[in-house]
Parts: sequence; structure tokens; C-alpha cells
Amino acid sequence: MKFSRAFAVTKRVLRDLKNDRRQLALIFIAPLLVISIFGVAFTGSVKDVRVVVVNGDTAAGNSSLSDKIISNFDTSVLNVAYANSESDAVGQVQNGSASAVIVFPAHFTQSVAAKAAGQTSVPSANTTITLLADKSNPNVSDPIIATVNAAVVQTIQGLGRQAPVSVDASNAIYGANAQFIDFFAPGIICIAVWQLTTLLTLISFVGERTTGTLFRLLASPLSESELVAGYAMAFGIIGVAQSTVLLTAAVILFHVTIVGDVLLAFAVVALLAIVSEGLGILLSSFARREAQAIQFLPIVVLPAFLLSGVFWPIQAIPEWLRPVSYVLPTTYAVEAVRSVILRGWGLDKIYPDVLALLIFAGVFLALATVLLRRRE
Amino acid sequence: MEDDVCIQNLEKDFDGFKAVNNLSLRVKHGEIYGLLGPNGAGKTTAIRILCGLLRASSGEAYVLGKKIPNKSVESSIGYMPQELALYRNLTLHENLAFYGEVFGLNKREIETREKALLKLADLEDSKNLLIDELSGGMQHRASLACTLLHQPQLLFLDEPTIGVDPDLRASFWRYFEELRDSGITMLITTHYMDEARHCDRIGFMRGGRLIAEGSPRELLELTHTDSLEDAFLAYARTEGSH
Repeated sequence: MKFSRAFAVTKRVLRDLKNDRRQLALIFIAPLLVISIFGVAFTGSVKDVRVVVVNGDTAAGNSSLSDKIISNFDTSVLNVAYANSESDAVGQVQNGSASAVIVFPAHFTQSVAAKAAGQTSVPSANTTITLLADKSNPNVSDPIIATVNAAVVQTIQGLGRQAPVSVDASNAIYGANAQFIDFFAPGIICIAVWQLTTLLTLISFVGERTTGTLFRLLASPLSESELVAGYAMAFGIIGVAQSTVLLTAAVILFHVTIVGDVLLAFAVVALLAIVSEGLGILLSSFARREAQAIQFLPIVVLPAFLLSGVFWPIQAIPEWLRPVSYVLPTTYAVEAVRSVILRGWGLDKIYPDVLALLIFAGVFLALATVLLRRRE
Repeated sequence: MEDDVCIQNLEKDFDGFKAVNNLSLRVKHGEIYGLLGPNGAGKTTAIRILCGLLRASSGEAYVLGKKIPNKSVESSIGYMPQELALYRNLTLHENLAFYGEVFGLNKREIETREKALLKLADLEDSKNLLIDELSGGMQHRASLACTLLHQPQLLFLDEPTIGVDPDLRASFWRYFEELRDSGITMLITTHYMDEARHCDRIGFMRGGRLIAEGSPRELLELTHTDSLEDAFLAYARTEGSH
């Protein structure tokens, strides 16, 4: 083996890199991006979750045990609001404006005092705090339950005596028996469709450019908008097929619970596929070869994977990073599909997410058409 | 009769590089006009401007009497790019059917024309093969068939014989002459000087400029040369000395 010949190969590879800035960026910037996003996204904890307290406790002022427990809530985790009736509070969770209801029963302070004093002659004394959470997202509901339990323990310790208080979190408003897979499956379906559709369109379109078929099409009566629309319809259909396969597998293999209208979930996924197709065509303008197209992979996949609430709720992402979550179409798709599948929500409740996806689709498809129309 | 292509003082500038420089030419109806020149002479750029794929920096161009870019002429022109421009994962039949639909042909029209074209291109037995399964020569014939399917009045053929073996090149030119005789106008680019003798008129291009124009016979006579290659070189030397 001759070192100089081997070194010639080394130099050739490095020169190749030097001349391909995209690849150079991929080597250095992509790993930095990965570690930064992972680090920031996964070291956060759930913050600022809105819960609604229904306080039936009649004790006032300093003597109110419920007020003491509420004052011990970790306010960085829970953002406490109040309601007069349980039905009103549950309604707020059902419409998505809150994540849990915390109910202190009537005469809570007196009941605890009576039970602590051994007055078992008061059978109706209820010392159980009822926690009704939206358990469709265990990453949010678990910290709520933990925070309420911690506040109860801290309050009792502060009293310096026994207090028979319990927290019943066994019932749920949504996702009664939800496992992590239930929470995770809708997100994964969206991410799979997002990633595959964007890449497939990107590679197909770079192929259209490199093989000359795009030239032939642009010199034909086919308009740029017809071309983009044709791709959109194809990938919408592919998106529905993909989500059908994934959801069927999730139900059969992992017993994922489906509460809502599956067809509505498929429609949202198809819409996401159209958004992804628009992005794929847009990105194809910046890649001359298929190999360059593949280099977009980390940029397309990672932020969506980590910041769209697939594994980790948006509430756990640091506030300064949340704007990134809100400019990702997957954030809206994941939330909408999850709400349909786990909460059984209809279009009347998920329309803001659908509207956001429609806006993304409109903007991406319009930009893709404009870029195709642009002539050097 | 009106010229099918009319270019006046056409220029195309790519970041300071003039790919086409003050180009003016006319292609008469029913003639084969050959745009000849080495690689980088500006032939492909000129054709792409005429097909509406590039925007001219200055000058004007008319195709079939309409100032381009103009979407309405696109159903009447056929463009065969240098690249094969076929979908490799589709069969030849599927490619033809797709391009037929893009040009607004109905199923019956596609079937009739496909049959005739496949016979002409000697590809009748290959219509259900994937493009990837065809030989290089067959792929070129398939590409030409896709260009002709909608029966264009005017053909822009960009290096149609590049990478094609001599036998197939000869049969391509025979076919181009047949098309010309049936009234179809053709603007063909090539850097194979010898095959340009089939053209009715030739324009020599170099450095984005048209350095000479005429019938093959005229160009040979004027330069006192025996081959179009020598004629081109003679004009290139004259151009260079200016």
C-alpha cells in the first residue's frame, strides 16, 4: 500500500466537501442542531398547565385546609383557575382550555378535622380530593397528579398532625385507560407521513428536474399549478393509505384506543400530507441532485420529531423555543389527530388546527407554484 | 409563408456570462433548421427560451406567430430535451399515455397515435417494458415518440442524436426528413457537424452568437471546404480574428 495514493484519495474527499457547502453544513451544523434541540426539548419539565379548581369547602380564611393545599401547589407547573360548578370546570377541559379539574368536596376542612379527631360517627364526611384530568396526554396529566399529591403531603406535614386526606385521580375526562402508546401513536402517524411525504416529493421533484421530465412538462399545456395540484392529490391519497396502515397496526398490535371519528383523523393526515408535499416541492428548488435532497432530512425531520408534541408536550418545551413549535405544521396535525382519536373531538373543536394546516397548505402550495413559474 | 420561429436580438445573461448574444434568426415553415456549434455555444439556452423555460434578458422571440413566453403555443410545439425526459419507473406505454393526457388527448387518440408511433420507432414489442429495461437506443426512440405523440406543428429537438449509435442516427434523420415533408417545422441543435447536411438551413453558433447562416451547400461553397466541420472552423477562425 502506498500512502501517497491513499492520501490522494483523502484529499479528493476533503476537496469534494470543501466545494459542497451544503454537505459541509450538514456535517457540522446538523449535529449541533440535533444536540441542541434534544437537550433543550428533553430537559424541560411541564410548566404552566391550566387546571380548574372547584372548591366546595366552606371553611374560611386561615382555617381552610383546601386553601392551604391550593397555596402549596407548585405554580410553575399549575396555572390555577376557579369555577363554581364541576360541570362548568369539566366543560373547560372538554373544550381544551384546561387540562384537569380539582374538586374539593363540601365541608372539606370540617370533614378532615372530624375524621382526624376520630369522629367516625360522621359517615358522610368526604375527605377525598377528586382529580379529573385529561389523561389523553400522560406527559401532562402525570405531573398534575404528582403536583397535587405533593401539595397535599406538604400541607399535612405543615399541620404537624395526622390528616386523612386522599386524592382520587382514578377517573378521567378523556383517555381513561390511556397508555403512553395511545398518546404516542397519533404523533408517530403524523411524523411518519410528514417525513415520508416531504422526502418523497423532494426526491421525485429533484428527479423531475434532473431527468428533464420537468422541462418537457413546463413546455406543455400543463400549468405549474396543475402540476402542484396533481402531486398534492397523489400525496393526499398516499397519506391516507399510510395512516390507515399505521393506525390499523397500532390498534391490532398495541391496542391503541380510538374514541373519535377515524375518517376525520385520516382527513387531517391527508391535509398534512398535502402540506408536506408543498414543502417538498419548495425544498426541491434548492437541491440539484438527489443526494443533496437527502441532506434536507435532518432539517425536515428533527424539529418536527422533537418540537411538535409527539413525545413531549408543548407545555414542557421552554417558552422561548415554543414559537418554533407553532411554526411547525406537525404541531397542529399531531394535536388534531390526537384530539380526534383519544378525546373523540369533532371538526367543531379541532377547526383551529385544521385552519392552521389549511393556511400552511395554501402558503406552501402557492410558493411552490410561484417558484416553478419563476424563470431564470 | 410566415416564419414559424423568429428571433430578434435575443440575449441571455447568466450572472454576467452571455450565454446567448444578440441572436437573430428565422425558421421558415416546413424546414429543418440546424443550430450547430460546440458545447457551450448557447444552442440549448436559445431553445429553452423558445420553449418558455428560460426568460430572455433582452430581445424578442416569436413562435408560431406569437410572442413568447406564451402558454397558448405550447400545445402546438414539441420539445425533446437533451435528457431523456422519461419516467424510468413507468412502462413505455404508461409514459406515452401520461404525456398524451398532459396534452389533452383522449384515450382513443392516445391509442391510435401510440400504435403508429411505436411501429415507426420499432418499439411495438417493448411498450409494456419499463424505460429502465430498454436499451439506450430504444430509450432515445421512446423519448422521440413521446415528443411526437400530440402531433406538434413545430419541433424543438435539443441534441436528439447525442449518445445514439450511427445506425439509429441515420434512421432518426430519415424520420426527421419524413416529418419535414409532412409539413412539420424543426429546429434541431447538434454538435455532430456531419449530420447537419440533412438540414435545409444551418446556423453556426459560437460563444452565444450566430456566426454564419445558410444552406449546407452555401456554407461549403462560401468557405471552399468539403465538410461542415471545416466550414464551421473557417467561420470560427474569421470570428476569432475580428
